[in-house]
Amino acid sequence: MSEQKLFSFRNPWFGASVGVSGAIAVLAALAGLIWLPMVQPDLKISGIWDAICSAAGVPRTVPRSGGAQQPDFKTSNVVMTSQMLTHPDQVSIGRGATLAQRCAICHGPQGVSDANSPNLAGQYAAVTYKELNDFKAGARVNAVMSPFAANMGNRDMLDLAAYYSFLPRVPSSHLNDNAPAPQIVITGAPMRNIAPCGACHGDIDIKAGSPWLGGQSAVYIKAQLKAFASGGRRNDISQQMRNIARQMTAEEIDAVALYYEAQP
Amino acid sequence: MTTESDPHLGEAVAARIERRWATLSIAIVGVLVGMAIFIGIDHATMPQGHVETADPKTLHLAGEFIESNLGSAMEADGSVTVRAIGQQYSFTPQCIVVPSGTPVTLRATSADVVHGLLIEGTNINTMLVPGYVSELPVQFKAPGEHAMPCQEFCGIGHQGMWGKVKVVDKATFLGMMASQRRLSCVD
Repeated sequence: MSEQKLFSFRNPWFGASVGVSGAIAVLAALAGLIWLPMVQPDLKISGIWDAICSAAGVPRTVPRSGGAQQPDFKTSNVVMTSQMLTHPDQVSIGRGATLAQRCAICHGPQGVSDANSPNLAGQYAAVTYKELNDFKAGARVNAVMSPFAANMGNRDMLDLAAYYSFLPRVPSSHLNDNAPAPQIVITGAPMRNIAPCGACHGDIDIKAGSPWLGGQSAVYIKAQLKAFASGGRRNDISQQMRNIARQMTAEEIDAVALYYEAQP
Repeated sequence: MTTESDPHLGEAVAARIERRWATLSIAIVGVLVGMAIFIGIDHATMPQGHVETADPKTLHLAGEFIESNLGSAMEADGSVTVRAIGQQYSFTPQCIVVPSGTPVTLRATSADVVHGLLIEGTNINTMLVPGYVSELPVQFKAPGEHAMPCQEFCGIGHQGMWGKVKVVDKATFLGMMASQRRLSCVD
């Protein structure tokens, strides 16, 4: 017994165990790669090779009847990522500063104003860029902003966004650090499908494309939330903000508007 | 004192035990493979038979997951296709309406991170993985309302992420569908 080679097909034990293991592997592969895909009623398999590819996870596109339903309104065409415009260069900021002179009448020479238009100083570049794009594309409409954006090139929008993100945030004249945070900012309203405002807008975490809200005019925040809720504003990608605003009560809208206005 | 024992006897006992253990282990493997085959055919689990991809960054630009194409759609063969996306922190459409007793194909994907789609009171449960389309063939037995929470931790606002599924009888559904090409019950 001891002089017999262990790993040799002349050893009947070795031969049998390798044979049986191999047979199980082959049978399992046949079942998983061919038989199971073939018996799936919804999976229209055209042949053995198709079944194997499908089961092995080769991506394929299933032909669909009928095209996608096209929107009867403009939607945002900006591709938003969290890495977007996070490294502005100095030339861009400089060009933006020059371009921003025509924005100053509403948005303030330093990107801050009391005109109830958005304060742009210190706003994320991706946010300013997206909104300018949406105004230009018609996905967001405003009597004052739309004509301004209509004549902007992509470079202009990038530069303006870079410049405003470079400016330091200036606390609004309504600053009140002691204002207690409303429940909806901290915990949301899970029973009504509302995540905390802070989960996206920077208090707790940041979601790409969500603006910094600290120091924004309460009038402006309120108007936007109402526009999202009513569907008057639809440039939020895939309804991400409309889904939230629709569920908010009028009191909650008032509370968050006043809270964010008082934040730095 | 020496004990007289047949060396071949010992060898035979060892071989017999060896064979029994080997048979047992093979039987266990066989049962497991058989179980996987059975639940695959019986649809006790519903593994997706094919892989489809979708770029999470550009879902809103073109293709079947653009905003206006989400919701329930009537197919030529009388079945219903429901398209939805999960994103931080909501499902779109927020309220899905489907007919009872009708084959429904649920197609969903994620626009950002991994989400989960679970319809309470049913065995519908799948992950929404960014980059991939999850497709489930489903059928709702009776009219009613189900919660559809996200079942995969997707970030700090996860607990606020859920949608609703409203199952209505077929006649009502067809009536609702008559005026629209895509249907949802978002108010």
